Amino acid sequence: MSAQLKIDSRVEGEGLAVLALTGEVDVANATQVREAGLKLISDGVRHLVVDLSQTEYIDTSGLGTLVGLQKRIRESGGEVLLAALQPRVRRPFEITGLTNVFRLYDDVGSALEELRS
Amino acid sequence: MKTATPDQIELRIPRRAEFVRVARMAACAIAAQLEFTYDVMKDIELAVGEACANAVEHVADVACEDILVRFSVEPAQLAIEVVDRGQGFDPARSQDQEDDWGRPGGLGLVVIGEVMDDLEVSCDPETGTCVRMVKYRAGE
Repeated sequence: MSAQLKIDSRVEGEGLAVLALTGEVDVANATQVREAGLKLISDGVRHLVVDLSQTEYIDTSGLGTLVGLQKRIRESGGEVLLAALQPRVRRPFEITGLTNVFRLYDDVGSALEELRS
Repeated sequence: MKTATPDQIELRIPRRAEFVRVARMAACAIAAQLEFTYDVMKDIELAVGEACANAVEHVADVACEDILVRFSVEPAQLAIEVVDRGQGFDPARSQDQEDDWGRPGGLGLVVIGEVMDDLEVSCDPETGTCVRMVKYRAGE
């Protein structure tokens, strides 16, 4: 038994990828998100857009994992951007002040456009 | 003066990450039964999830095999206790501290304190750790 989480990643160009998290991100599966992000970074991704449009729940294990990815990717001059946070997902980010750690976008397309500009 | 004994629902889950979701689901069901709004129900779910995750992640005592989640339904409030028999985590753990991967620590209690109306954490080497949180019921 595990919380339902589907992780999809796709490369959107040189050094640029989208990581889509569908379902619930919690203490039981945050490590999977970490591993998926680290694999992209090790494959040369320097800018990562995390698509949260289909994320129904996230706890501080998930938040901490995204912060860890942000720190890791910044070491190579890159950035993690968050896109399409639903209100229930945005809430823990706001409570903890972690909205200041990421640039937030209404949708994935806007985040990609920003990175390509 | 209200003296009625609260209705209690107790759930005991293995102290493993994959069972935290079970406690969250129970919290949602009970909150819905008490006719909390959807947003409050999801706040209660988040608080219970964070308290159980703390018990899973920060209790070093491997002899602590399970977590007790006790819901006490009273006319004016829903009180929830998350109890483990481990040696406890440090509730004063700074938000500024990080783990070995750069993840901030102590955020779970910050979230619980924000989404619930009351929060108490007690740690005792003999009895373990108890996170007690309360949500007031509307109109009471």
